[in-house]
Amino acid sequence: MLNFESLAAIGLNHYLIVSAALFCIGMVGVLVRRNVLVILMSIELMLNAVNLSFVAFSHFSQNINGQVMVFFVMTIAAAEAGVGLAIAVTIFKRFKEVNISFFEQLKG
Amino acid sequence: MDISVLLFYGLSFIVLCFALAVVVSNNPVYSAFYLAITMVSLAFVYFILQAYFIAGVQLIVYAGAVMVLFVMVLMMFDLKKEKDSFSKGRMSNFLKVSSVGWLWGLIAGAIYMSSDLLSMGATLHNKDGVGTTTKDLAKLLYTDYIFAFELLGLLLLLIAVGAVAVSRIKGGTHA
Repeated sequence: MLNFESLAAIGLNHYLIVSAALFCIGMVGVLVRRNVLVILMSIELMLNAVNLSFVAFSHFSQNINGQVMVFFVMTIAAAEAGVGLAIAVTIFKRFKEVNISFFEQLKG
Repeated sequence: MDISVLLFYGLSFIVLCFALAVVVSNNPVYSAFYLAITMVSLAFVYFILQAYFIAGVQLIVYAGAVMVLFVMVLMMFDLKKEKDSFSKGRMSNFLKVSSVGWLWGLIAGAIYMSSDLLSMGATLHNKDGVGTTTKDLAKLLYTDYIFAFELLGLLLLLIAVGAVAVSRIKGGTHA
């Protein structure tokens, strides 16, 4: 049952619920949108949701290892955004549009 | 009512609202703007979770570097308001959104059911005696995770070269 005491004391669960919601919003963006840039932004949202749960676990178990993982995830996310945007630029050069449906036209 | 409770609810509300705005906005420039706001509010969430270094890195790397990258590419494209920004098919879109909603319900239910286990695990402190300050983070990064850290540097170099190589491909399906 939902009681107000559990709502007033912020625990690990609250952060995990927010993280799950953020992840699902990002997932909707990836599934529903057609613009490559917005899809990349939604992927960033999903990665940030995972980061949030890492930091929440790290805080509530007083273990710093989670924050190291967040550091790695951030670096990988930046690299992924760089490559994704480079591919988006090549798509735009060819088709003057950044629709995801043009990606099947890409060849080596 | 504690101030940190209010801060948590306010910040999560801002984060979720602007994340939703990223997804539903028709104009990609607005999407980038909302994403920047989401990143900054997430940095504040990390701050109230006492992950100060991560909060700073979030501000610099995400709200700074990655968002600048996105905005630069957007300006290069000169995108107007899109006509069909969402994929077609009312039924398939409904299925997609509803299945993601089910997924969220599943995760939330799992978290709720395992809340006892989670609170039990949260009280299990680490036995190594490693603190949670930025200094401890740096020590861990340069001792236990040094190999991964060096590999990350190599990966970034590779990505920098690869991104330039990919974007230099001239138009046409065969470069």
